[in-house]
Amino acid sequence: MLKTRIIPCLDVIKNKVVKGVNFKNIRVMGNAVEMAKYYSLSGADELCMLDINASYQNRKTFIKTVESIAKVINIPLTVGGGVSDLSDITDLLNAGADKVSINSAAVKNPKLIRQASLRHGSQCIVVAIDGKRHKNKMKVVIKGGREITKNELITWAKQVQSLGAGEILMTSMDTDGVQNGFDSNMLKKVTSNVSIPVIASGGVGSLEHFYLGYLTKSTGLLAASVFHSRKYKIKTVKKYLSSKGVPVRL
Amino acid sequence: MKKKVIGLIDGQSGNIGSINKAIKDIIKGRPYRLKIIKGHFNYSSFDKIILPGQGAYATLMSNLKKLKIIKPLKEYLENNSSYLGICVGMQILSDWGYEDKITRGLGVISGDIKKFRNKKLITPHMGWNIINLNNDDTIITNSFDKKDFYFVHSYIFQNIKKSDVLAFTLYGQKFPSIVKKGNIYGVQFHPEKSHKHGLNLIKNYILKS
Repeated sequence: MLKTRIIPCLDVIKNKVVKGVNFKNIRVMGNAVEMAKYYSLSGADELCMLDINASYQNRKTFIKTVESIAKVINIPLTVGGGVSDLSDITDLLNAGADKVSINSAAVKNPKLIRQASLRHGSQCIVVAIDGKRHKNKMKVVIKGGREITKNELITWAKQVQSLGAGEILMTSMDTDGVQNGFDSNMLKKVTSNVSIPVIASGGVGSLEHFYLGYLTKSTGLLAASVFHSRKYKIKTVKKYLSSKGVPVRL
Repeated sequence: MKKKVIGLIDGQSGNIGSINKAIKDIIKGRPYRLKIIKGHFNYSSFDKIILPGQGAYATLMSNLKKLKIIKPLKEYLENNSSYLGICVGMQILSDWGYEDKITRGLGVISGDIKKFRNKKLITPHMGWNIINLNNDDTIITNSFDKKDFYFVHSYIFQNIKKSDVLAFTLYGQKFPSIVKKGNIYGVQFHPEKSHKHGLNLIKNYILKS
């Protein structure tokens, strides 16, 4: 039986893992390579790392960090943040990423998804979708939730699937960073409308939240703060899920 | 002592970085040499060949053709030389692939590569799943039975002879996760991404065969 994946997410600036709510009060949580190695050894099923400040100056160091991480882990690595065109995708794959996540660039230019999946295969193209409720509708947002696009969430999710995305990384901007749990309602709407894997992201604060995330039919559960702050070890989460009957890799 | 030569084929089908590093770590201080194969090669100068692959069957076959690798690889396999195909590198051992367009494979292990039958399944089959051994041998030892490996694929080996299936996995249906014919092995999962069990499998393949 396929296991539910537990995926720690590293928000990275250059080579440091950082934590900040809406890009304010940014705190350094640790060295990205060391944290990646630690998570790989302690039972993470995959790793996700995002360049949250993909400026020209920072990018080179970030790519070097991807290379260093790819060398020390032997679990799949998804890399995103600041991916704007095909050459960015190629650069990250060459640096050792197994999958590349595209967000705003896909919204601005949906054809990029098709081009990227034709060139590299669907299995390595993840589309990250940020969703938010606006006037009773679920909409796609970009720029960390500050810009609401005209795209309706479910229509967009179906569209990225038909354009060749291999996976959706679904973050609810209504629950992200608050630690009150995943946005079950939004996630269920997405998983029931697509047939590609969905990774749930945004809002985990307790063990039960992981279980509720599993119930949304998301096959990957992504979390950052609860792992970086050492509130939970990955093993603790997996043992808890296993006790609730969720298939996990122990 | 003459060093054994391992060939790693770069079929331009995904990144060979992880597998390259895994092999290097294993052969460090041992009598082996690693050569990356990027074009025509002399099939008799390799003791083992590993072909990793991602993406589509048709793409890998056409890349190998462009790189002039098909002919020497076929000669190599016809000699029952030692081979490990990973993911699409396993799939092209079949007669035909049905991804994107119908493509002729290497025809080493009879069968076809087709989509999962259940249309309601979440595909790709992406993540960790266990393998169930039908038989064990010196490389795929009992210690791998019921262990988790990392899979990413939407197509599976079908119409294959039972005797060519060394292990199977369940996802909506039973499908072959390790195939074997003589010294030729194929794994549907990615051992280079499968943490310690994956590395042990690659290690066994290199050192024990």
